[in-house]
This record gives sequence, C-alpha cells and structure tokens, in this order.
Amino acid sequence: MLVLVNMNNQELWQTMLAQIQTDLSPANFSTWFKNTKIIGGEKEKIQIGVPNSFVKEWLENKYHKKIFKIIHEINPEIKEIEYLIKRYEAPENKKSTEDVIAETQLTFQELNNNQENNLNAKYLFENLVVGSFNELPYAAASAVEENPGNIYNPFFLYGGVGLGKTHILQAIGNQINKNFKKKNIKYISSERFTSELISSIHNRTISSFKNKYKKIDVLIIDDIQFLSGKEKTQEEFFHIFNVLYEKNKQIIVSSDRPPKSISYLAERLRSRFEGGMTADISMPDLETRMAILKSKAQEKNTDFPDEIYSYIASIIKTNIRELEGALNRLIVHQKINNNLTLEDVKKILKEITAPPTKIITPKKIIQTVADFFDLKEKDIINKSRRQEVVRPRQIIMYLLREETKSSFPFIGKKVGGKDHTTAMHSYKKIAQELEKDKKLEEEIFLIKERLLNSP
Amino acid sequence: MKLLILQEKLKQGLNVVSKLTPKSLTLPILNNILLNTEKNFLELSSTDLEVGIKYYILTKIEKQGKTTIPSQLLFNFINLLPNKKVEVELIKNNLKINCDNYKTQINTISAEEFPIIPSLKGAESITIDNSLFCESLNQVADNASLSGAKPEISGVYLFFQKKQLTITATDSFRLAEKKIFFKKPTLLKDEHALIIPQKTAKHLINIFNEKEGEIKISFSQNQIVFESFLEEDSHPQVQLTSKLIDGEYPNYQEIIPEKFTTEAVLKKEDFLNQIKSASLFSKKTNEIKVKIKEGTITLYSENAEKGEYESTLKAKTKGKKEEIVFNYKFLVDGLSNIKSSEVVFGCNGDAGPSALKPVGDQSYLYVVMPIKP
Repeated sequence: MLVLVNMNNQELWQTMLAQIQTDLSPANFSTWFKNTKIIGGEKEKIQIGVPNSFVKEWLENKYHKKIFKIIHEINPEIKEIEYLIKRYEAPENKKSTEDVIAETQLTFQELNNNQENNLNAKYLFENLVVGSFNELPYAAASAVEENPGNIYNPFFLYGGVGLGKTHILQAIGNQINKNFKKKNIKYISSERFTSELISSIHNRTISSFKNKYKKIDVLIIDDIQFLSGKEKTQEEFFHIFNVLYEKNKQIIVSSDRPPKSISYLAERLRSRFEGGMTADISMPDLETRMAILKSKAQEKNTDFPDEIYSYIASIIKTNIRELEGALNRLIVHQKINNNLTLEDVKKILKEITAPPTKIITPKKIIQTVADFFDLKEKDIINKSRRQEVVRPRQIIMYLLREETKSSFPFIGKKVGGKDHTTAMHSYKKIAQELEKDKKLEEEIFLIKERLLNSP
Repeated sequence: MKLLILQEKLKQGLNVVSKLTPKSLTLPILNNILLNTEKNFLELSSTDLEVGIKYYILTKIEKQGKTTIPSQLLFNFINLLPNKKVEVELIKNNLKINCDNYKTQINTISAEEFPIIPSLKGAESITIDNSLFCESLNQVADNASLSGAKPEISGVYLFFQKKQLTITATDSFRLAEKKIFFKKPTLLKDEHALIIPQKTAKHLINIFNEKEGEIKISFSQNQIVFESFLEEDSHPQVQLTSKLIDGEYPNYQEIIPEKFTTEAVLKKEDFLNQIKSASLFSKKTNEIKVKIKEGTITLYSENAEKGEYESTLKAKTKGKKEEIVFNYKFLVDGLSNIKSSEVVFGCNGDAGPSALKPVGDQSYLYVVMPIKP
C-alpha cells in the first residue's frame, strides 16, 4: 500500500472513479462524476472540484460516504473531503444561429479586448512599421516595455490623427503583459476615465474607483487632451498619478499635441507630463508609407504590384488610417475583378484623391482657431490686447491669408475692424516665427488638420 | 403520502414545473417530477441540473411522504380531470390518483434518486416588481449570443446597484441594455455583477410573466434564486434556482456610442412596417439599405430572384447624409422592444455602431453594427 500513498492527486481520483463506477449505473456515474477532479488540499484534507452546485449537493449528500471510504482506504492520512464549485470548463455545444450572418457583418470589436487590462491583442510591436517618423517613440516605448516604471516615467507620446499612437500605446501594454505576467495593466481613454469617474460620483463609489486605479502597475491613458477643462477629473487623475508615480509605477499618456499646447490643463499636471519622456510621431515619408501598405496587405493575405502601393502612398500623405481605408477599398474591388491595373486603382480611389474641395470660409477659420485655444469667438474679435488673445488672433490672420487668399484690408475687417497694416504685420510675424518655432508649426498643422476634418 | 387537493390547483402547479422536464436519456429521473409534502404544503419540483423549479401548493395533507413520477404523464392526466377534489395516495411503489369517476395507479421512482436542488446560504437579495422585471428581461434576453464560443456573452448580464438594476445582452453584432430604477434604494451592501444563462432568462419570462406582485431575487457567487409568493401567505409559491455563468462580462460600456454623426427621429410603427416590407426582398443574408437624408429615411432592398423594393418615410433628421446596410432582423429585434411611439435612430457612418432609443425614455438602448457595404 505504500506505493499507493505516493500517488498524485490525479491518480488518486482516477483510482476512486474506477472503483465507484462499479457501484453505480453508467447514467448516474457520468451525470455526477463528469468534470470532477481533485483541485487541491493539504495532508489530511482534499478538495474536489465539481462543475455545479447540483453535483456538489449530490456528492455531499448521497455519495460522500462511498467516496470517503474508497479514498481513505487508498490513503489513510486523508480525513476530510471538501467539495468546491469550479469553473465550467467545457462549454456546451449549442447550435449556432440558424440565420445566415453576412460575411461582412461588423461586430463590436471591443468585445475582443482583454477583460482585465482592456488591451486589444492585435496591436503588437511585431506588426508596427518603424520608420524615421516614429523611431524615437519606438525606441522609448521599447525601453519602457523592458523596464516599466524605471526609465521613462511618465512616457508622453504625441502626434497627429491616425499616425499610430494607439498602436504604440497598446503594444507597450501587450508586451509588458507578455513579459511580466503579474503586472496589473490598464488601458483606458481619457473620455472613458472621465465617464467612469462621473458614474462613480453618481453612485457614491468614488473610493472604490480611486482604489482600483491606485492598484495599477502600468496605467495607459489615451487621448489625454480630452481632459482639457475638466477640472475635477484632472484633480482625481493628478492624485492617482502621484500615488502611482511615487511607487514607481509606469504611466503612459498620449495626446494629439505636446503638453504645452493642451489648453486648460492644470499647471501641476502639465509639469508632471513634461518631467518624463516626451516623444512625438511625425508624418511617415513615402517609403515608410509604402512599407505600411505592404504590411497591411500582408495581414489581409493579399498583395498588389509596387506601382499601386507607390500610387496610394503618393496621394495619401498624412494619415495612416486613411492609407488603410484606401487599401481596404482596393481589396473589396480585387475580390470582384481579379487583376487591378493602376488605371483601375486611379478610378477607384478617385473619391479619395479628389475630395470635394472643402470651402474654407473665414468664419470657419475663426471658429476653429477659437475652439483650438478654448476661447470665445467674440473675445478674439474684440479689441483686447491680452497676450492669450493676441496670439490666436495673429494665427487667424495668417491662416486667412494662407488658406483663403483674402486681401489684407478684408482680413483686418474680419477680425474686428483692424487696419490692413495690422493684418500684414501679423501675417509676416507668424510666417517668420514658423521657420524657427517647432511648437508653432505643430499648432498650425493641427489647426489646419481640424479645418479639413471638421464636417 | 396521502393528500387531498383541488384539480385546478394541482394543474396550475404542474403547468409551471413541467416546463422544465428535459427529455433526458442519460438520467431518466430528470423526466420525473418530485412530489413532496412539507407540513401543509405540497411541493412539486423539477430540474435539468442547471435550473431547478419548486412550486408550493397549500394542501390538506393526511400523511407526509414523497415520491417521483413521470412529468408529462401526470400533467396530461391531471389536465383532463374535472375541476373537483383529487385524492392522491402513495401505496408502495404506486401513486394512486382518484378524482370523481377516474381512478389510476402510476408507477413511481423513489424520491431518493431525485437530484437535490441546491439552496442558497448567506445570500444578498432584492425585491422588485415582477411584471416590470419580466418585461425588462424580455426586452433584452433574445440578444444573448447563441454560440458557445464566448461563454460570458451566451448569458444575460444582471448588474445590481443600490439604486438600479441593469440588464444587458449582446451577441457581438448588437447589444440591448435596459435599466430598472428602483423607487427606494435597496439594502444591498455591495454591487453585484452576475451572468444568468439565456435559458434561465427564458424560463423566468415564461413562468413569472403573468404573476402580479413582487419577485425576490437572491444570489451568491454561483447560484441565483427567483421567488414569488403566495397571495394568502408569505410562503414562497414558485422558486426558480439557476446556476450562474462563470466569468466576467465584457466591459460593454465601450461599445455604446456617445455621439452620432447622423440622427433621425421617426414613428416607430411606420419604420418597423417598412423594414418588414423591405425584408421580403432582401438577400439570404438579410441585407437592407437605409438611406438617411434631410427629412426622410429611404429603405432599399433587392433580390435577384424576387425583385426590388423601395420606400420612404418622413423623419426629423440632423447631421450628415448617410447610407448604411443592416441585417433587417437586427433592426426588427431592436424596434419591437421599444414601447414608445417615436424612436431615435442614431448612426455613425456605414461602419460605426448605430443605436435605437425610445423617445422620452432613458431606460432602454439598442446598439447595432451595420453590414459593410
């Protein structure tokens, strides 16, 4: 019997099953003992995992004596048996929907996100195309991922729409998740953070909200610029930030502009962001855009001739998401007629290449700039000489000249009856500064982007 | 066991418990129902090992006892009896049932063989208006996923908070969410997030739907119990016990769009009718095209074998013009669960989530993904 004492739990349970089987009808045996196993225990006590509470009740009340007797005979040391409900492992094979679901029926992608950390597993470093436009952020991200919390903390990543900020952010998260199983990672957009906070205030669960965030090892917040002007959220975020930062927990933040340009961001928060590593993603060059197209095509198991890639890359310059959109369009057409020529592609992408030229009106420029700097239109157009108004006003005059080719007297009139010499001066001033001031260049770029993208 | 009971009462009870008798070949006892006496009550039970139902009838009991007999046989037989007193007596392995001029003896299986329906210990509970709960569940439950690939979304999500209960289900193509706001805050110590199997939800709707009064919901980590009570006594009348689905429900809040690029307000019945007409001409994959522009919504469908369809209805619209393809069934499912006469239809382009909401009612929301054009 000594040999038997040394058998492991799996063998012990198998021996028990083999014996008890002879006492029961096959139906009873398979109903009550399917998916049971020993899941743990100490010297004198073992725990049996059972699939549901019906089985638990039945084993406890009907078969416990038998089970105990057999187990005790095999291993006399065991004096107690406990039954615990364990996760149902084999899901039932239900029939799938009777109706045909269209192949192109879209689904909620969010359901594929990891439940705990909210990361989407499709964003990885392996499928990130690295070029001169994102070399720096990539290098910084790799350093962060190898040693979270200790090198670049916080890590602030910024860049225009559709250049892959989210991809890098999520890739860091996924990589840390892979390398450090025990790290508690959380990816969240700043809008979602805000709405979680609001609902916790509403339901009076704010302390559990705070505690949840204070337990995080790697906090990734996307699109932080949306915190602009939300004072209460900024305050809570600031406290969470400090707690995590003091404990050397990694914080990763992204935005569409540098910390300095986010208006209505509390100074203390801004200086925290600037205290870590700041990296920006610029525009990818033509070769990189082609490389991105190729890798996206590969992901979708298809390929096009180089001249087509080069054509797409030459017409879409500023947004990777649009590159992907154009590619998807081609893939649909390719399914219908097999060999696409460059001429076909030109025709298909005509809508993208020749977008209905947006009419940029002076009104729209003033509106967009005012929004960008979080000012009221009428404040800009009045006579105030306050610094925070003067600068946006100059930018408006610059853009009016650049984008609408208006005359200087007209420009002067539009921004509150200024003299045409003021307009000329403003235009020159901004044009000159643009040459040396990188930050201004970024701001102007973002404003232009908004002008083009606004409905 | 010996008792005297009115045919009508017994029939009502059997009608409830016999809903849950699976045709089980592996364990024949599951085709039986358990008759048990408990002081002044006759207790009827049935189970399929995931859900268990108990039904209590106040009865004149002469001799305590218990046994099990085939559910369908008993139900069919009792159904045919006149509404008079029924005499039930267990003699050895046979159950004698006499009523008026009818006399039968039915073979039994020992009650010892019958599964024990688990009871709940140390559970939290809330009480809620029965018809409101069933109606809300009904508005949502059909959207749970039918494939077993993701067990979490194969069930219906119940999120209990102090002031409200949120019921949600999704199959990853569409999602329905219903909120019940409690008139008084409940005594719950914590928030509880549970997933009940879709089958359980269907049974609940089926069994409790027409009952007036309140339903008590008690739950522990892996078990949930729904109870309704006798009118004449505070004793439970129906008790439905179910296992819970293990796992965490997806953080579906991310799915719900906060803004729409196109929005239309229109008459629900007209919209529903036109969708149904359009569906007659849709392809096998149920595609219909919805075109929204200033002041109108136009529906198109075409099918090479049947022909083409087009209809227009008026709507208060704002935002961009849009052309979106949907599976008409998903639209019908959402619309038919909206009770208001007007509905808000919000869209986010031909690849983003669209939503249907009743006008003037914040408690219900239906989100649906389009078909890629």
